[in-house]
Amino acid sequence: MTLRYENVSFTYPGAKAGIFDISLEIGKGELLAIIGASGSGKSTILKLLAGFVSPDRGRIVIDEKDVSALSPEARRLGVVFQNYALFPHMRLWENVAYPLKVRGVSKTERRNCAVEMLDRVGMKSRADDLPAALSGGQQQRVALARALVFEPQGLLLDEPLSALDASLRVEMRDEILRVQRASGIATLLVTHDQEEALSIADKIAVMRDGRLIQLGTPRELYETPADAYVAGFVGQSNLWPGMIRADGVVETGIGSLACDTRGHKPGDAVTVFIRPERIVPSFDGAQQSADAGRAGGYFSGSVAADRYLGPIRRIDLNVQGGLIRLETHLRDAVTSVHVPADAIRLLPAN
Amino acid sequence: MPIVAIAYFLFLFSPVLLLALGSFGESWSNTLLPTGFTWRWYEEVAADPSFRRAFVTSLQIVGITCALNVLIGLPLAYAIQVGAKGGMRFAARLVTLLPVAVPDLVLAFGFILVFSSDQLPWLGSFWLLAAGHLVLTLPYTVTALVADMEQLRLDEYEHAAATLGAPFLARIRDIVFPLLSPSLVSSMLTVAALSIGEFQLSNLIAGFLSRPYPVVLLQAFYGATGFACAATIVLLLLATLASLASSLTSRLSKTKKEAAA
Repeated sequence: MTLRYENVSFTYPGAKAGIFDISLEIGKGELLAIIGASGSGKSTILKLLAGFVSPDRGRIVIDEKDVSALSPEARRLGVVFQNYALFPHMRLWENVAYPLKVRGVSKTERRNCAVEMLDRVGMKSRADDLPAALSGGQQQRVALARALVFEPQGLLLDEPLSALDASLRVEMRDEILRVQRASGIATLLVTHDQEEALSIADKIAVMRDGRLIQLGTPRELYETPADAYVAGFVGQSNLWPGMIRADGVVETGIGSLACDTRGHKPGDAVTVFIRPERIVPSFDGAQQSADAGRAGGYFSGSVAADRYLGPIRRIDLNVQGGLIRLETHLRDAVTSVHVPADAIRLLPAN
Repeated sequence: MPIVAIAYFLFLFSPVLLLALGSFGESWSNTLLPTGFTWRWYEEVAADPSFRRAFVTSLQIVGITCALNVLIGLPLAYAIQVGAKGGMRFAARLVTLLPVAVPDLVLAFGFILVFSSDQLPWLGSFWLLAAGHLVLTLPYTVTALVADMEQLRLDEYEHAAATLGAPFLARIRDIVFPLLSPSLVSSMLTVAALSIGEFQLSNLIAGFLSRPYPVVLLQAFYGATGFACAATIVLLLLATLASLASSLTSRLSKTKKEAAA
């Protein structure tokens, strides 16, 4: 079953905030993540699909049926809320069985189904507990079981990991992906955590000010961002204002850089983009720089910040005319770097 | 500090203590404390037909006021919580709180003006008294329920239930009522405590046969002191019981809210 937004617009009454002309499709078994800063409209996208608000324009289509005017209970979508929203007065099995209860399934049958579903998320032994007795991660599992027990047409995850500790987040991320893949269900994930989106989504949509900026696979978004905003939002990046000086050469604040300038002509303003991990530490850089010149992509400078992140270090290197950010697994002191021409991408100027 | 606290406690409770002593005292005139011991005053209160009728009337008024508070207060609080936004929400809260701000006397005069007319000649009736108690107590119910609905994050649970396929009535039955029941019970006990002790409005709008207990109690003070003390202690006991029960259920409700948070 597919979930689809067709040119959907919505603004909150009495406010300018909302979403504008959004078209998206989530195929069967696909996981689409919506990312964006606070107020970008990502939660509104989920509310529209869940049926909590109705679009001003456009259509919400589930399995080729227009559901724009349907209430949430008629849409058959499983939703995992940010705070899980497990009913505190019901035992875990009753929580999971609730969708079956409202569908008229007998008590014995719904208890069996609920326990089986709890087993799938590793919570069978706690079936008779109340939600208050569970940790955040355990509540998350139960919420996931409850959202899937009635075989919904789609699964909606609203910042499902934001309330968890960092260590548990990775574990639950994998768990969600495992259950989602096993169910083969179209899934919409709303998150502000770009790492979470990159790690589990098949496709990612980046939102800004209620508009869809870019839609693509995690790799596309990371490697070929549409603009400087996406490049800056998804992962770490070096972004330098520049101007095409000649074919194959771009002039930036830190100096001239060799790169592929196809699609641009001399004099064009651009934003030069390169990921920090593509910058190469150069331990004989001073000599190479002297030999090759700055246009050769060699830079020396002083370390402005050296952050130890466990497997890697993130270093800010002050060079003449700007700052270069690089990531390296090396433990040696870094004062010179090489900016490879093939790692540079040119993005539209801001 | 403990001395100040003890002094304040004595100041608050000495009238109650004196009433209790007076209700068991055989005689109390021209002495600091009553003399002798007797159950007679309580027996006389229990045997007095006007007090018996007033006691029953008070219990009936309390019961009806509580029932009306549930029937009107709960949907009103729900509508404010779910439906009213921004200025409308503020206006709705203001209107429901207005009876608390307006002195009882003003309300009573309003009732007298409106319900002594030929078109609405209901002044002195039992049901008008119940309506008066409802007007006075409804703000407490609505305010308490709206606050509890917010604290319980009821809207989130309702959203969750809706996505799971529960229609409106099922959500009310399975989610709203069970989660709100301790708050509702606590609110009703508060309403009962308020209604039992209400005097100002009742004194002005109650008819001779529909006088509640506090109104009849006033007359007791024109007679024997021991009788008046015993009659007051009966009222005090009822109000204290309601308040205690309200506090207990309020604690239970708080535990539930903490579990929900």
